[in-house]
Amino acid sequence: MAPVAPRSGDAIFANVERVNAELFTLTYGAIVRQLLTDLEEVEEVNKQLDQMGYNIGIRLIDEFLAKSNVSSCVDFRETAEVIAKVGLKMFLGVTASVTNWDADGTCCSLILEDNPLVDFVELPDTCQGLYYCNILSGVIRGALEMVSMKTEVTWVRDMLRGDDAFELQVKLLKQVPEEYPYKDDE
Amino acid sequence: MIVCVAVVGHQNNPLYIQSFTEADDALKLHHIVHCSLDVVDERVNNPKKSGPMLNETFLGLLYPTENYKVYGYLTNTKVKFILVTTDLDVRDADVRNFFGRFHAAYVDAVSNPFHVPGKKITSRTFAERVSNIVKSFGLSSAG
Repeated sequence: MAPVAPRSGDAIFANVERVNAELFTLTYGAIVRQLLTDLEEVEEVNKQLDQMGYNIGIRLIDEFLAKSNVSSCVDFRETAEVIAKVGLKMFLGVTASVTNWDADGTCCSLILEDNPLVDFVELPDTCQGLYYCNILSGVIRGALEMVSMKTEVTWVRDMLRGDDAFELQVKLLKQVPEEYPYKDDE
Repeated sequence: MIVCVAVVGHQNNPLYIQSFTEADDALKLHHIVHCSLDVVDERVNNPKKSGPMLNETFLGLLYPTENYKVYGYLTNTKVKFILVTTDLDVRDADVRNFFGRFHAAYVDAVSNPFHVPGKKITSRTFAERVSNIVKSFGLSSAG
């Protein structure tokens, strides 16, 4: 299944409705600015962005699975590849590369060379602790939670802080098996 | 050689001033820029031609003074770009080209969500791009 995924990412991206990139970037910038004005604390804003991303992710996963028709992934490695090549391509228009696998295959890094959320953005000195793209980590966490994987997603490298690329570390904490809501005695 | 570029807001408040030569007095350059704003206002309020002027953005040579030439460019939001140069023969096309690229850099700097419109431009990327544009202006007009 893995060789099919990279091509289908581009094909799906060509078929979904798209929005102007500058509108998207400016809208996201306005959201972050407003959060900073309302919450004032950089840590609070980071948490709020993550929460917003989580809420988006739990809904986005259904659209992703419906439009992309990928079959169930065999293991976490495949999951990471699908996110990087198909998921990010479909929704952000960019692909990421997956590297830095650890020994158990439960932790990897997604590296984004190009990120449409941060066009034109420069962090001022007052917001140096801000993870501007924290919404992405929430989206991935939320989406994976809906397919029974509890993960922890953190930023390792951030171009707005002077690094050379965006690197997200995705760590699988545990696979939660499906729980049936019905109790036996009902 | 370009000695100074400036971006002035619509209320004639300075948004960005950068001089590229240590030789001249920075204060004198700021004063020249300030005086040229009056000329800009005059040009804007009394258009010389009554016909349609499609490229109203480029104001051209504002006034030659001593050993400097001052060029102006007006955006549709009344933000003014002022260019002070010591070159004796400067082609019109070069200056227009310069202002075009300067305008593009300005637009990218203003699109930063952390930039407050009306406040000074603090973007380091903008400063670098302006330096590059200034450097390549010198090269193209020399060649």
